[in-house]
Amino acid sequence: MTRAQQTLSIGLLVASVYMVAFLGLAPLPAKIQDDIIPVLPIWAIVSFGAYLLFKLGYGVATFNDVPEAHQELMREIQEARADLQKKGVEVD
Amino acid sequence: MSTPNNNLLDRLVGLSMLVLATTVFLYYTIWTLLLPFVDPTHPLQSAFPPRVWAIRIPVILILLGGAVVGSFLGMVMIRSNRKKALKAQQKKAS
Repeated sequence: MTRAQQTLSIGLLVASVYMVAFLGLAPLPAKIQDDIIPVLPIWAIVSFGAYLLFKLGYGVATFNDVPEAHQELMREIQEARADLQKKGVEVD
Repeated sequence: MSTPNNNLLDRLVGLSMLVLATTVFLYYTIWTLLLPFVDPTHPLQSAFPPRVWAIRIPVILILLGGAVVGSFLGMVMIRSNRKKALKAQQKKAS
């Protein structure tokens, strides 16, 4: 089963469960039905955004400088530039 | 070539993003999922705006974000097209 198939089937499952709850096809306490169910999708989106921000912040906070890799990368860029210019490709 | 000791700034920015993300998540979860079960007269309710805004604010932010990204893309595409047209003109003239 490919990643896409897996994601799609999980998405469909979640969507159908939510549809059942949203359309009132399953009996739920009135408070939950009226106040919480309609808000769940937006809550999921906001929480997903917060999770992404968290992951980004964590990555930024724990990333250490790598000066050797930086110099090696600069060298490789210059080599590639010279090579491409020789072959007549516009660089920059 | 890279500025020395950028590490401190990086850590501060990363930490502030972490704190912001956690705060947003907690505040929004309490607002949308917890408050309906809390007495309307409880003092906690006064820390949160009326619940309608819990829907409006994310929608407005998403629309704003989409508009910013869209206009940025549009500007970059227009500029690159203009450069290409200019180059084509210069080639014809030479």
